[in-house]
Amino acid sequence: MKALEVKNLKKVYVDVKDASRSVHALRGVSFDINEGEIFGLLGPNGAGKTTLISTITTLEKPTSGELNVFGLDVVKNARTIKQNVGVVHQEVINTGYFNVTEILEFQSGYYGILNNGDRIQFLLDRLALKPHAHKKVKQLSGGMKRRLMIAKALVHSPKLLLLDEPTAGVDVELRESLWKFVAELQKSGMSILLTTHYLEEAENLCNRIAIINKGEVNYCGSPKEVIQKYSTKKIHIKLTNGDTKEILTSAAESLNNVLAQHKISLADIVDIQMTEGKLEEAFTKVVIAGREAHGAAQ
Amino acid sequence: MEKTINNWIPFLTLIRREIKRFMKVMIQTVVSPIVSSSLYLLIFGVSLGSQVNLPNGLPYITFLIPGLMVMGLINNSFQNSSSSIVTSKFSGDLEDIRVAPITNHQIIWAMGIGGIIRGTVVAFITGVVGMIFHYFMVGDFLPIKHPLLFAMFTVLCGLIFSFCGIFIAFIAKTFDQLSAFSTFILIPLTYLGGVFMTIQGLHPFWQKVCHLNPVFYLINGYRYSMVGVSDVDLTTTVVVCLLAAVVTYLMAMYSLVKGSFARW
Ligand SMILES: Nc1ncnc2c1ncn2[C@@H]1O[C@H](COP(=O)(O)OP(=O)(O)O)[C@@H](O)[C@H]1O
Ligand SMILES: [Mg+2]
Repeated sequence: MKALEVKNLKKVYVDVKDASRSVHALRGVSFDINEGEIFGLLGPNGAGKTTLISTITTLEKPTSGELNVFGLDVVKNARTIKQNVGVVHQEVINTGYFNVTEILEFQSGYYGILNNGDRIQFLLDRLALKPHAHKKVKQLSGGMKRRLMIAKALVHSPKLLLLDEPTAGVDVELRESLWKFVAELQKSGMSILLTTHYLEEAENLCNRIAIINKGEVNYCGSPKEVIQKYSTKKIHIKLTNGDTKEILTSAAESLNNVLAQHKISLADIVDIQMTEGKLEEAFTKVVIAGREAHGAAQ
Repeated sequence: MEKTINNWIPFLTLIRREIKRFMKVMIQTVVSPIVSSSLYLLIFGVSLGSQVNLPNGLPYITFLIPGLMVMGLINNSFQNSSSSIVTSKFSGDLEDIRVAPITNHQIIWAMGIGGIIRGTVVAFITGVVGMIFHYFMVGDFLPIKHPLLFAMFTVLCGLIFSFCGIFIAFIAKTFDQLSAFSTFILIPLTYLGGVFMTIQGLHPFWQKVCHLNPVFYLINGYRYSMVGVSDVDLTTTVVVCLLAAVVTYLMAMYSLVKGSFARW
């Protein structure tokens, strides 16, 4: 079964400033997430990532299209689905009357769980929040707040976890430990949808990614594929005559073709080094290509 | 996927959160009504009140105490739900509640019960302070005449103004709009609803106008249950209050369905 199926999803907002205008935040988005997969949703600001997550959590209602979580329609089965979904919002929480433990206890209660002490202790421990268990939100640093939000999303052990830029504004060390934790969650069987700006991490962590821009998915597949397709690799060749050659080529191009094109025979080569393309470059290309296609269509 | 949850736990959690929240602002909840009701009692009850002759023959302080109590109930139940929602808009708690498997009915009833409890605490404190004054002025502790009616009006009042608070807090786009509602609508309706006065001395035209104010019925019903006097008959009062509860409930529901859970 798919953890998430998004089919031709559209969302139109009324413009905040000018009510007569509408904002097309999602223009027919389709993709799906397999059970147990980490899926990355990558896109520039305003692409529609948060809107997509909001439609899954029922904070926003889709204008049209289909949205299924574990085979159930989100709008029709909201209550059942909510029990199985956890979300870490993009905006950081910063005020409130309650301390960390109280917040996690209330959160457990909202999901129908009494006496959730063991799970709460585990999360406090795993997210290094134990020393801060009795602090109020405003006494926490940015990174601690972010960890608290993650703990909140996990009190009820959801089957699908939604992370909306969980590492934005978080220092390198914490970021690494967070990704390690996310990988652990995946091992425990959780399906994870995350949005991020840190492409390199998406490349290492995600089984598959979708690149979204202006409410449209421009690419969906494994990070390897997109790099192959859209980025350049660098080939550094040392020749027997002492020369060195640097060749830039599409990541998908085979080495044989490259050598043939440059009229280099294998016998002339002393050493060869290849630097694989980066997701970042592929991402930029996909986004620009999408923008151009979009512009042409208009 | 088919894990079914106990519906009571989220609901009771919401109520517990409401209570814990106003316990954290204890000074506002407990101390300020002691101070303000003592002041009202001293100025109006003891000082000015001695010169007032009510048409119904009651000592003014006997008339005033239920008015002050119900005013505390009204203000605090309104404030409890509205400030709970507004602060949750800031902290993002509102999003958590929306994302969790909690229904709108549960949210409204939990806020309603939270409002009744806080309003009752304040009315009780006001009543205790009032009864001490009453003992020295009149010679008895002002026994409650119709305890069952009293309980009913307490619950109705608490619910109506909690529901009202939900509605306003959801509809309001800024703090200013919220406080404008308090200043320009809630407080005038309460004061003109007969907290401090009976309408019997007014010109018949103004008496008719007063009958258009729903808060007038609530205050008179509440006062009737305590001391047995009212400017309207009991049946009309009960009908109006029940209607008001239904209407405010629907307004609260409307605001939850249409309003935004997003942050300020
Ligand atoms: N509540 C809203 N009302 C109107 N427009 C909105 C609202 N939320 C988001 N938008 C608009 O929808 C588009 C997508 O926003 P968002 O989903 O937040 O993108 P992202 O998370 O990828 O940065 C943007 O143009 C944004 O201005
Ligand atoms: Mg976003």
